[in-house]
Amino acid sequence: MVDENKDKEKTSKRKVGVYICYCGGNISDHVDVEKVRERVEKQPEVAVVRTNVFMCSDPGQEMIMEDLKNGTIDRVVVASCAPSLHETTFRGAISRAGGNPYIYEHANIREQVSWVHHGDKATDKATRLVSMAAAKAEQLKPLESIRVEARKHATVIGGGIAGLRAAKDLADRGIKVVLLEKSPFLGGQLANLDRIAPTGDKAAELVSDLAGQVLNDDSITVHTCSAVENFEGYVGNFKLGVKKQPPEMDQEKIKQLGAKDEAVGEFIPFAGIYNGAMPSVPEEFTVETGVIILATGFKSYMPYKGEYGFGEYEQVVTLPELIRSMAENKAAGNLMEYNGRKIRSMAMIHCVGSRQIPGIHPENEGGYLNEYCSRTCCSAALNSSNIIRTSYPGTRIFEFYRDIRTYGRGQEELYEDAARNQVVFLRFDDDASPKVARNTSHSGDFPLTVKVKDTLTFGEDVEAPVDLVVLVTGVEPNNVSDLVEMMKLPVGTDRFLLEVHPKLRPVELPISGILLAGTCQAPMDVGEACNAAGAAAVKAAALLGRGYVELDPFVALVDLEKCKGTGDCVEACLSDGALNIVEIELDGQTVKRAQVTPALCLGCGACVGVCPENAIEVAGWTLKQYEAMVDRIVAQEVAA
Amino acid sequence: MALLNPNFAEEMEPFTEDTALACFNCGTCTAICPLIYEHFPRKMIRYIQIGAKDRILENAQELWRCLHCGLCTQTCPREANPGEIILGLKRFVVANWRRS
Repeated sequence: MVDENKDKEKTSKRKVGVYICYCGGNISDHVDVEKVRERVEKQPEVAVVRTNVFMCSDPGQEMIMEDLKNGTIDRVVVASCAPSLHETTFRGAISRAGGNPYIYEHANIREQVSWVHHGDKATDKATRLVSMAAAKAEQLKPLESIRVEARKHATVIGGGIAGLRAAKDLADRGIKVVLLEKSPFLGGQLANLDRIAPTGDKAAELVSDLAGQVLNDDSITVHTCSAVENFEGYVGNFKLGVKKQPPEMDQEKIKQLGAKDEAVGEFIPFAGIYNGAMPSVPEEFTVETGVIILATGFKSYMPYKGEYGFGEYEQVVTLPELIRSMAENKAAGNLMEYNGRKIRSMAMIHCVGSRQIPGIHPENEGGYLNEYCSRTCCSAALNSSNIIRTSYPGTRIFEFYRDIRTYGRGQEELYEDAARNQVVFLRFDDDASPKVARNTSHSGDFPLTVKVKDTLTFGEDVEAPVDLVVLVTGVEPNNVSDLVEMMKLPVGTDRFLLEVHPKLRPVELPISGILLAGTCQAPMDVGEACNAAGAAAVKAAALLGRGYVELDPFVALVDLEKCKGTGDCVEACLSDGALNIVEIELDGQTVKRAQVTPALCLGCGACVGVCPENAIEVAGWTLKQYEAMVDRIVAQEVAA
Repeated sequence: MALLNPNFAEEMEPFTEDTALACFNCGTCTAICPLIYEHFPRKMIRYIQIGAKDRILENAQELWRCLHCGLCTQTCPREANPGEIILGLKRFVVANWRRS
């Protein structure tokens, strides 16, 4: 658009090479590829059309590179599968041949043609799509990817095991790290546990070990009682406004500190590592950082009043409460004691707050159901049962379950051990949850009974008299709606943060430079959370390693001659800060013009649609390129 | 309604080896049993697991169909020894029958 006349001269000389793939029959079984070749050869801008059984193969790519090197062509169109598969492959081939990777256009004739159309119609549509791509390719200009300086600094949000792991791994790579934790303690939810399934590791030792390494690392600055209040910037150059204030949460845990207020770096059971005095007045500071790792963690599901008698009978407790009680009362004996009462028999009810089914389970206050499996609770429950059965042989345990899911290394053995330890299993159907009630009829001195239609006893109704009911509660994501709002984070239907791709890009978000670690993404055990944190740290280190970040050049460009500074584009812009109206000197006069910050531009084109002067375009997707495509697609002679 | 009796295992102790709770209810014993009778012997073993003494006594006659061929014990993946449990149950039923 800027050099329209000069462009015209050049375009007449442009030579587009078109490369059509058979995809080994995937395309050629339905599209007459040779016929497409004959038709496309007739298009004015096309210099050469070639076909190959697999264009993505080395010989296919070399064909393209050869034509580029010897000057036969200077623009490339590949017609093959979806661009998500091989666009980067062919851009790479062009680069290796010494060309600019952005002189490339892709036509998808597999997913959009051969997999959904058949016969002549398929061949005709393929012809139009390929011709259209060639018409656009003629208009393509070489583009340079956007390079932004990246600050060699990372910020980890969340001081649980995943946050600690990520911070330490980044520091070991020579990157300065700021670790922000909302509560006064490090260790997160792991600090609320005792012995961890399946290995029996002490949570206190795991937390103390890693938090100790983090606190002793000069490259890591730890801020507890600190939350992110403001967010701006882009990959390599984020700016976080942080507020450090006297904690509102965890008052109970703070009380536990008591006289230990000076015990900096010491593990407080069921609280975590205390990181020094808490601020008495709020203070604010700014963190300038290159990448952000989110390790905001989970919270344990809290049953509603009346769920399996929770809140109605004092003998109904959650698994985390049982774990804490067991850790704090280690006295040996034939019977376990809970709250000073001897437990002769107890029921564990699985899947409380997990795997909820619409129409069967009630939604919570926010209208949500936890339809996911929390993955860690089966192993945690069996682990506790095994400890109880081996430490207090007189205490009998009934496990009421829907499915036992002790997935993962060393965890199936927990079930084996439970059977050996004479834990009795009872299985219920999804829509026939056990009923907890006061014991009125049988052997009167058991306070509660659990009734269930037990599928293992061939659907018979059975009733267990018990002293204690333990609800095996699952996990829920922490409420991070403030961060979600600020950073525009994607959230899944399960309310956990959502990665780009669950298999191929499991710790990345679509927002470049922001990564996921641990249970903010999905239920995980400690090992899995550390795996994810390590992966996020490596991704962050790779991103910062070169000192700069390269971004695709498909961003808005302003034509300063045409722009009148109306500001319509700024209003339409979806990305805060990507477009601004600035005052510049033009021909000796101060005028208002739109200015793009390329690193923030999404390339969506909202600005293009609203500009009354046609003064803004998206590079690689200009209006002229669109016109050429539309003209070609409606041209009668193309598929003739 | 069957009432779970957590201490039934102790009641069974004089009559047989304490292996019933090793069973994970897979049904291999029932599939291999030449009697092809309902859920025999799996159901009996389940009654021991939950301590449903009444059910065992109500269905005691089933125990005397058993040929003691040993196929269930041979094929049990959990080494719960169903054949031996059935023998033990016979001893248990006889003892309790005399008492009542």
